[in-house]
Amino acid sequence: MSRPDRHQVGRRLDQLRNSMIVGRSLTSEGEQCSLDHAQPGAAAGMRQRDRLQPGGGPAVETYLAEIASRLPGPARSRAEIVAELRSGLLDAADAHRSAGLPPARAVQAAISEFGGPGEVADGFRAEIAARQARRLSASLVAGGPLVGLLWLAAALASHLGLHLAPPWHWPDLPPLLGVGLRLVTVAIAAAAWAALLGIAATGRLTRWLPARPRHGPTVAVIAGFGAAGADLVLLSLVAGLLAVAPGTLAPLPIALAAAASLARLTLATRAARQCLATRATLTAT
Amino acid sequence: MRAETLKGHLDGMLLAALEAEPRHGYAIIEALRAGSGGQFDLPTGTVYPALHRLERAGLIEATWSVHGGRRRRLYQLTPDGQRALVAERRTWRDFSAAVTALLQAPTPARSPP
Repeated sequence: MSRPDRHQVGRRLDQLRNSMIVGRSLTSEGEQCSLDHAQPGAAAGMRQRDRLQPGGGPAVETYLAEIASRLPGPARSRAEIVAELRSGLLDAADAHRSAGLPPARAVQAAISEFGGPGEVADGFRAEIAARQARRLSASLVAGGPLVGLLWLAAALASHLGLHLAPPWHWPDLPPLLGVGLRLVTVAIAAAAWAALLGIAATGRLTRWLPARPRHGPTVAVIAGFGAAGADLVLLSLVAGLLAVAPGTLAPLPIALAAAASLARLTLATRAARQCLATRATLTAT
Repeated sequence: MRAETLKGHLDGMLLAALEAEPRHGYAIIEALRAGSGGQFDLPTGTVYPALHRLERAGLIEATWSVHGGRRRRLYQLTPDGQRALVAERRTWRDFSAAVTALLQAPTPARSPP
């Protein structure tokens, strides 16, 4: 890549960052440069009014804005989708131009072939929902063991009489603590299974699983809220023990484990709510 | 060709359109149109989410490229996609052979040539 090219790309990335999702054409300047420098003959041979507007003009802006307004998720990923659709639309309009249509008609033809904005957005919404579900499920599966180990270390370092054994073999714990820990075990087990299902339903296995667009988000939401619920119980138990018998807890390991749980609680809740919101916009299939 | 009929086989057709070389969205649509003798008449905008889905399934991968001043997403088959295409072809051949045999109008009884 030559130096000016790199500048162009950098400038365009800046435009991407700064522009609203479709507020401005991301390609206008680059387009101008390449038409004027790379293909001087083509640029000179075409009269100014016969050229497609670099970003496609108001009809393209309106159409893309309508799609973007129906897409969930962060502005950045929506901008990426819109940029891809824009170049596809302009390519199609170019083809109609070459076939002899005047610029405005060429753009109209490209838009009508593209399909209704609702239909295009529907396809992307299912896709965005699956990606959100996958990200949440995968981060729970990746982070879960760490949080679990931190709590295990904290429990072993504290003077609770806990040891490596299934919950039903635990010694006489204060009843509330025993109930709380069993609740945590159940919630974590459910969350782990749901997260694994969430990964399966949104990745390569999709080809063999009869998964519908809502299934991935559903299990991911269960996983997220399950993990968050377990964290909430764990943090409440720590708070309770601190109030009743502060001497029993090993401060540093407990602080580390509690910090990990607090982080997961916050992130998992936010991601699960996002998933739920996107899931609600999917057409019922 | 009816849209529903097309949709059922869109994945295989998209993979086939990428078999020869990496392509961006519009080039894929053009390849489908040319390859189907103009029969391909799905709303072209729905091809893009389908490409994203195949990407998530690990069958194709995408990179951004700037060409002619336009930012395009260039798609290419992954080894998994290659295998899926082979499988898709085999399934389709078996299926279409069976349907052809079943749908063929009975030939009127006549003496062999």
